Amino acid sequence: MALDETVAPAPVALAAARAVGLEKTYGKGDSAVHALAGITVEFGRGEFTAVMGPSGSGKSTLMHCMAGLDTPSAGATFVGDQEVSRLDEAGLTRLRRDRIGFVFQSFNLVPTLTARENILLPVDLAGAKVDEDWFDFLVGQLGIGDRLSHRPTEMSGGQQQRVACARALIRRPDLVFADEPTGNLDSNAAGEMLGFLRHSARELGQSIVMVTHDPRGAAYAGRVVFLADGTIVGDMSDPTAESVLEQMKQLGT
Amino acid sequence: MWKVTVKGILTHKLRLALTGLAIVLGVTFISGTLVLTDTLHNTFTSLFGNVYQHVDFQVRSKAAFTSNSAGGGAVRTPVPESVAGTVRAVPGVAYAEGSVSGYAQFVAPDGKAISTGGAPTLGVSFDPNPELSSLRVVAGHAPGSTHEIAMDEGTATKYHFHVGERVAVLLTGRPQTFTLSGIVRFGSAENLAGATLAVFDLPTAQSVLGKVGQYDAIDVLATPGADKAAVERAIARALPPGTEVVTGQTVAQEQSNSINQGLSFFSTALLVFAFISLFVGGFTIFNTFSITVGQRTRELALLRIVGASRRQVFRSVLLEAAVLGVVASIVGLGLGVLAAIGLEALLKGFGITLPAGPLVFLPRTVVVALVVGIGVTVVSAISPARRAVAIPPVAALSDQHEEQGESSRRRIAVGGVIAAVGVAALVVGLSEQAIALVGIGAVAIFLGIGMLAPVVARPMASVLGRPLALFGISGRLGRENSMRSPRRTAQTSAALMVGLALVSTIAVFGASLSKSATSSVDEAISADYIITASASGTGGFSQSVAPAAAVKGAAAVSTVYGGEFEFDDVVSNLTAVSTEHLADTVILRVEQGSGAPALAAGDLLIDTTTAATKHLSVGSSVAVTFAKTGSSTMKVGGIFKPNALIGSYLVSDAYFLSHFDDPLPVAVLVRSAPGATGVGAALDRGLRSYPNLQVQTRAQFEQSQQAQVNQLLGLVYALLALAVVIALIGIVNTLMLSVFERTHEIGLLRAVGMRRRQVRAMIRSEAVILALFGAIIGVVIGTGLGVAFADSLQQQGITDLVIPVASLVVFLVLSGLLGLGAASWPARRAARLDVLAAISAE
Repeated sequence: MALDETVAPAPVALAAARAVGLEKTYGKGDSAVHALAGITVEFGRGEFTAVMGPSGSGKSTLMHCMAGLDTPSAGATFVGDQEVSRLDEAGLTRLRRDRIGFVFQSFNLVPTLTARENILLPVDLAGAKVDEDWFDFLVGQLGIGDRLSHRPTEMSGGQQQRVACARALIRRPDLVFADEPTGNLDSNAAGEMLGFLRHSARELGQSIVMVTHDPRGAAYAGRVVFLADGTIVGDMSDPTAESVLEQMKQLGT
Repeated sequence: MWKVTVKGILTHKLRLALTGLAIVLGVTFISGTLVLTDTLHNTFTSLFGNVYQHVDFQVRSKAAFTSNSAGGGAVRTPVPESVAGTVRAVPGVAYAEGSVSGYAQFVAPDGKAISTGGAPTLGVSFDPNPELSSLRVVAGHAPGSTHEIAMDEGTATKYHFHVGERVAVLLTGRPQTFTLSGIVRFGSAENLAGATLAVFDLPTAQSVLGKVGQYDAIDVLATPGADKAAVERAIARALPPGTEVVTGQTVAQEQSNSINQGLSFFSTALLVFAFISLFVGGFTIFNTFSITVGQRTRELALLRIVGASRRQVFRSVLLEAAVLGVVASIVGLGLGVLAAIGLEALLKGFGITLPAGPLVFLPRTVVVALVVGIGVTVVSAISPARRAVAIPPVAALSDQHEEQGESSRRRIAVGGVIAAVGVAALVVGLSEQAIALVGIGAVAIFLGIGMLAPVVARPMASVLGRPLALFGISGRLGRENSMRSPRRTAQTSAALMVGLALVSTIAVFGASLSKSATSSVDEAISADYIITASASGTGGFSQSVAPAAAVKGAAAVSTVYGGEFEFDDVVSNLTAVSTEHLADTVILRVEQGSGAPALAAGDLLIDTTTAATKHLSVGSSVAVTFAKTGSSTMKVGGIFKPNALIGSYLVSDAYFLSHFDDPLPVAVLVRSAPGATGVGAALDRGLRSYPNLQVQTRAQFEQSQQAQVNQLLGLVYALLALAVVIALIGIVNTLMLSVFERTHEIGLLRAVGMRRRQVRAMIRSEAVILALFGAIIGVVIGTGLGVAFADSLQQQGITDLVIPVASLVVFLVLSGLLGLGAASWPARRAARLDVLAAISAE
């Protein structure tokens, strides 16, 4: 299967997702906490972006707002040309199902379903037809072909995360959000995982936003956005572990 | 530890409220029944006390034996009028007057006979002495001539009778019309526990009630200031043999006892259903506590780590159950009082007007309600509490605490033994007719099967869920969820299993009973038309019906009588059929001896069952006692195959009439002449003046027999419905807990794009599988129990065994739908989970 058949070249002009003046405030008055204090950012198409920052910097909130899991207090978020904050509940569900893929730190899979069923979950939920070629391709790329009939409890953490990756990509979403995807993995498995994400972006043109606090993980990305106290404090292209670490130190975290 | 428990209870208010609801309903049922029956008991006791408060003595014949029927008192024969003269001559007697009572039924202005729905339709004599009469005239005047009649206020109000109107009355002889002279009350009540009262002056009463020259009893007043004990002794000395004198208090006591006996039958029946509800509630409690202990594994393990002893953990779980039991029982007690008021209103709706009286709330009611309510709750929580104790402290540190396989093997062994013991108890109980043993057996079977059910839960859920899985991912996930924890699935459906098992038992039993009733009519009666009283509780109808039924085209008319006698010292039912037309109207299969000739000779016929159990054969001599004629012996003249119409003992009509006072026919059988047409219409015309009768063809009679069985079944189903409702509450509860437990998972599904509708469909699928699982096991057990019951009552007339497949399928479908209904709340809750909160929940 030729890649150029399945992945349309992305129009460079349009970002995969962007946030405009995004604010998120929890609580009111004196006790109000500004998790996001006016963020404007674009995530390019086919780009693998890492969002870094210390705990409480707002990186998870940013991701949640962009994915339509949380509603911003002010500002707007877009996935492609779709303004996320304008969608109603059903629209948000469709957005998540059809245009966004998720990989979480843990508890990524439905325990009662096999690996194959977990991967095809978004397809089944949409009642769509399975693209078997794409499925086989993903499974092959991730090396989980021999695990398809296993349930999550019968797989290692790394295998589970790879199944979660396949699930995130199965609908060819506009954007994949990965929230600390390697947080629970040993360094070998983490390396394979990050390698696959980088490969997806570079070779398959998959847009990926990954939230992480691990500089070595961030080094796999093509770009790193640094967050602190709800604002963007840095933006770096072609990072290395050292340069990321350096930047973190400068930010005083 | 107390603080932890209380905090836990407060955090899970909703969950506990749902769990407690099961107990609340059961306790409401129990306390409502107790309050109602206590109230009725008290009311009747004081009513009869008032009525007889001025009667010093009553003279009557000695009791021959005590009636078998519910609430039936002693069976007595009347005394001759002359006894009254004897009593009046006794020094110290100021006044003595006889009274009679018997069958008299009013006809409503629309021409229909007034029936009571169970209570008797009485005709009584009026005693003009206000001190002696139990009746008070509240309008008009007492009946004073052969044309006058008085009526109880209840009937007069209900049917809008007014003083001065003409009233038709059905009697033992021909129906007659009287002028309504007055309205009476029985003591302070509108009527006597729903019975209608037709009141005549004494001579008229004697004549229309078939007691000319006789009194049923003689009420006596002593001279003021006389030594009552001495007067009583003097009366006793003067009385002829076979008669006795008792005090008015004794009579009041006997009468209220007799009514209360009927009430206790009623309350026992209700209490049985109340305990069934609580038993089902117990399953629900057990299940909820099992799940919550599982969910709190980490918390409980943490408590152990910080130093809680096993005993403290155990007590903490039981304490939670106890608090729940106390609160639920108190609420149930309060609702029970309201239920009693409601039930009283319901009885009134059935035409049973009860004398006014205060609601009686005995301390016993409180004790029973609390003990049972708290007891069931705590006992149900013991096993989950023991499981909580078994949690090792290290479980707090690990992610998952797996259930050990070994304990499940032990459970299977224990469950198997309990179920086997239950089956054995049931079999022995059924063959020995020991109801308590049958009940214990059934309970043990339910407990045993409940323990075994997890074994089949997984495969069954898998099969049941297969059709649902075809509908898409939601159904598939629902199916997977129901297979996830076989134990939970089995425990959740256990309550429904019990409910459905009981419903199916009744269905099988009822269908068999219904079919037996039909086929027994075919095997017992060869007559073409059957004339019976259209309402129950009338005891019979006039003897003048049979002559009236001899219409043109009727080839044979025979009268069937029924009454009680003592056979071999046991009170039994005796039937008589006109010997002349026996062969034309009744199918009597004589196995030994002879039929009609033996009857004509005054011999007794018995059925084969009685002959076998009492070791009797043709020619045997047996001891019998009749109320009217006393003890004697009879010869067994023939032995016949069991016959549903006749029962076990048969004599000729002539014999019956000479051995019973005031015999009332219970049925008249008519065989039409070959080729005769229009016999049914002729019968309808001929019996127009008897609106209390119905003329039915054999097919119609069969149908009405079935309708009676079905009516009873309907009542039982209604009472069992509460148990099913409690079982459904259990399903709601489990689903809520499951939704709570799977918050994270549901959040994940929502995050990857599951729509709310799909979430709801998933929860509903699981509920349907749970409900069907319980229902199927229940229906299977219930069918088995029903077959066992029906089979054991073969000798009692359940000759046909019918498994009502259609009804059982309807039960299954209904269970599935109810499961769907039970899921609606948990499903909505699951669909409404906030996605972000759910995926970040730990």
